[in-house]
Amino acid sequence: MSYRSRLFRWPDPYDTASTDALFTDAARECAAYHAAHCPAYRTLLDAARFSPDDLDAIGDLARIPAIPTAFLKTHRLRTMPADRLHTPIRATSSGTGGRASEIGLDWGACFCGLSMIAKVAAPRSLLSPRPCHYIVFGYMPRRENAMAAAKTAYGYTFLAPALDRTFALRWENSRYVPDLDGVIRAIVRHAASPHPTRFIGFPAYTYFTLKKMDERGIRVRLPRGSSIMLGGGWKQFWREAVDKTVLYALAERVLGIPEEAIAESYGAAEHPILYCDCRNHRFHVPVYSRVLIRDVKTLEPLPMGYPGLVNLISPLIRATPLLSVLTDDLGILHPGEECGCGITSPTLELLGRAGMEEIRTCAAGAEEILKGTESEKEYGRVKREK
Amino acid sequence: MILYKSALFDSARQDAILAHLESYINRVRATMTLPPEAVIQAVDRLGSRIAAGEFDPVIARVASPEEVEEYRALAVRLMSRSALEARLKNELGEPLRDDPTSPIRQERRPLGTLFHIAAGNMDGLPAYSVVEGLLTGNFNILKLPSADDGVTVEILSALIREEPLIGDFVAVFDTPSTDTEAMRKMAMMADGIVVWGGETAITAVRALAPPGVKLIEWGHRLGFAYVSGTPSDEELAALASHIAGTKQLLCSSAQVIYLDTASMPDLRAFADRFLPHLDRAMAAHPVTDLGAMARITTRRRCRELAEALGERESGEVLRGSADCSLILKTDSALEISPLWGNVLVKRLPRANLLPVLRTAKGTLQTAALLCPVQDRASLTEVLLRAGVNRVRRAGDLSASFPGEAHDGEFPLRRCTRIVDIEK
Repeated sequence: MSYRSRLFRWPDPYDTASTDALFTDAARECAAYHAAHCPAYRTLLDAARFSPDDLDAIGDLARIPAIPTAFLKTHRLRTMPADRLHTPIRATSSGTGGRASEIGLDWGACFCGLSMIAKVAAPRSLLSPRPCHYIVFGYMPRRENAMAAAKTAYGYTFLAPALDRTFALRWENSRYVPDLDGVIRAIVRHAASPHPTRFIGFPAYTYFTLKKMDERGIRVRLPRGSSIMLGGGWKQFWREAVDKTVLYALAERVLGIPEEAIAESYGAAEHPILYCDCRNHRFHVPVYSRVLIRDVKTLEPLPMGYPGLVNLISPLIRATPLLSVLTDDLGILHPGEECGCGITSPTLELLGRAGMEEIRTCAAGAEEILKGTESEKEYGRVKREK
Repeated sequence: MILYKSALFDSARQDAILAHLESYINRVRATMTLPPEAVIQAVDRLGSRIAAGEFDPVIARVASPEEVEEYRALAVRLMSRSALEARLKNELGEPLRDDPTSPIRQERRPLGTLFHIAAGNMDGLPAYSVVEGLLTGNFNILKLPSADDGVTVEILSALIREEPLIGDFVAVFDTPSTDTEAMRKMAMMADGIVVWGGETAITAVRALAPPGVKLIEWGHRLGFAYVSGTPSDEELAALASHIAGTKQLLCSSAQVIYLDTASMPDLRAFADRFLPHLDRAMAAHPVTDLGAMARITTRRRCRELAEALGERESGEVLRGSADCSLILKTDSALEISPLWGNVLVKRLPRANLLPVLRTAKGTLQTAALLCPVQDRASLTEVLLRAGVNRVRRAGDLSASFPGEAHDGEFPLRRCTRIVDIEK
């Protein structure tokens, strides 16, 4: 069995301490595979004077050349040729900066991924044989829409058998239009059903819909087992104008869904590892990845507690060399013990995005107006330069 | 948080308030008048309080300590009674027809209701935009940028405490940008929409605006420097210092340095001479923002990887030791640079000035002109004819002078209309 398969079958998804050696082996195996099959990647490794055999211990991960997501958006690095790749899934990032990276998943990665989802979802009781209704605060899937966010949200609707699915963003007359009233009608209908309802998708739309219900005085008590899964991209929730606690209170008041039944997830197209928050709503690093925080000037790895660029490492993908990806996110790692939830792997706190380049004075505030509703772009906010 | 009728409301009340807003605005417009003097007095008092540091903790929520200082200085300059009176006189004070023999009489009146959509990335701008609307007597609806952190509401509330009448002329909403329905409702109530932003923002607002609503657009602009002859070291140092000081982030910052030449070796010779100036200036004004440093480093990393794959950048690049660069290009287009002290250098013989700059119409704003004194008048004339609105000296691209126009217009004038009344 490959090191990758062993890693993704590890019983405890947060047992990073005992999996360091296995992770190193899987990373070496992954680096060697890409070096052998992707000449461009091989060239990049050579230029950095790095050989997969240099990976002896977990501390060596920092030596793997980290490839910026911005680079992946302009360079199609493929280890498996597109026509030979029997890949069930091709996904793209949301292309917020105008360009999208294209990510392929090989079959092996898909099986590993399923095992990962089952394990990460278990502590939050996301996997269930009990049929339920789904409300998706995201895009109705279309064959032409390769966006990872749309696929992820749709994928979640298979964690428990679906009775039906209602989408907040419907495809009508060649564009996505929000249909929050349709969603509210569905929620009211589901409240009378004996089956629970699961909510999935962008926090902004979730909040907005619940607020609308609250304003109109619509209150329902959904059956026990109903839950909310927030996610759909890295950039969704942190530093949102809405405080999370406001959303939790709103969900309790309007839907009767308690805070414990609200989970948040994230992932990136370039690092398709499922992160799910713990009961204290923190993101512990799962065994499938390691996170390094790098100095914003030197790119040297920083100790815990220091802010820098987030470097995500995972041996999951064979189709594209995504072993070590340098995101444009700023973050801090904290010791897992400080969380208090019982999980001891480190927690990743995201501070925001290093952002795009823009002129400051005349601003871009209104640029977001129709984003996310009239285009296929991910809902996002314009970052203020400081 | 919503600010309406001088009181704060929970965002959840938005739709209920919007349902009554039109009739409320109609009542205000039918029965109340906001005299400029009331606004001047309130803004002046608030400006003194900001200058005295009373609002430092509020500003500190969105700005670094050095910026707090900067905002305080800005408040003094923009909010003082003398500055406001000068603006009113300069922008609105042209003599209107008051001829006893004429059958008509003319007056300047507010446009009516303004809907402001202000920038998320320039702190204080939303409040500033509303103050312009108040000075001209308009009712103001403001949609806050999502990154506002409550600063605008706090500043406007303080203004209302100085002059309670202002509270009847302001409605502030923190509508999320996804709520197009609400945005459209606000647009429907307005006589004018004031929008600050880039091309995407302006296009979005144009799609939102019903016909018949006046659009008051303050779009992104690109600044540049035009160099003819051999500038002095002082001039080059001043230009470099402006580039490093603003990090090219302002509309008036130089993105491109144009040389009055058709020769690439001339570009190279200029760049060799200018780079040490830029290097020194960048060392004196280093980038300190974590996000900005991360961006610069990531870009460098991408470049290194591309070079490892054997890719060459188009054009010649001269790199300074202080993370700055001069990028020599063969074309003449006015375009945004990679910012943060990375300047494009291009050829543009004076004979081509007008046709080339015309292709950038809509983004033209400021030009720093570095040239022999005998050429200054004629080159200035060509720049103005091409559409440039501000012609400045080397280091003064962003300097503001009392009474100056904004992007070729007097903003207050755009918030008003002239009425004719037959006697």
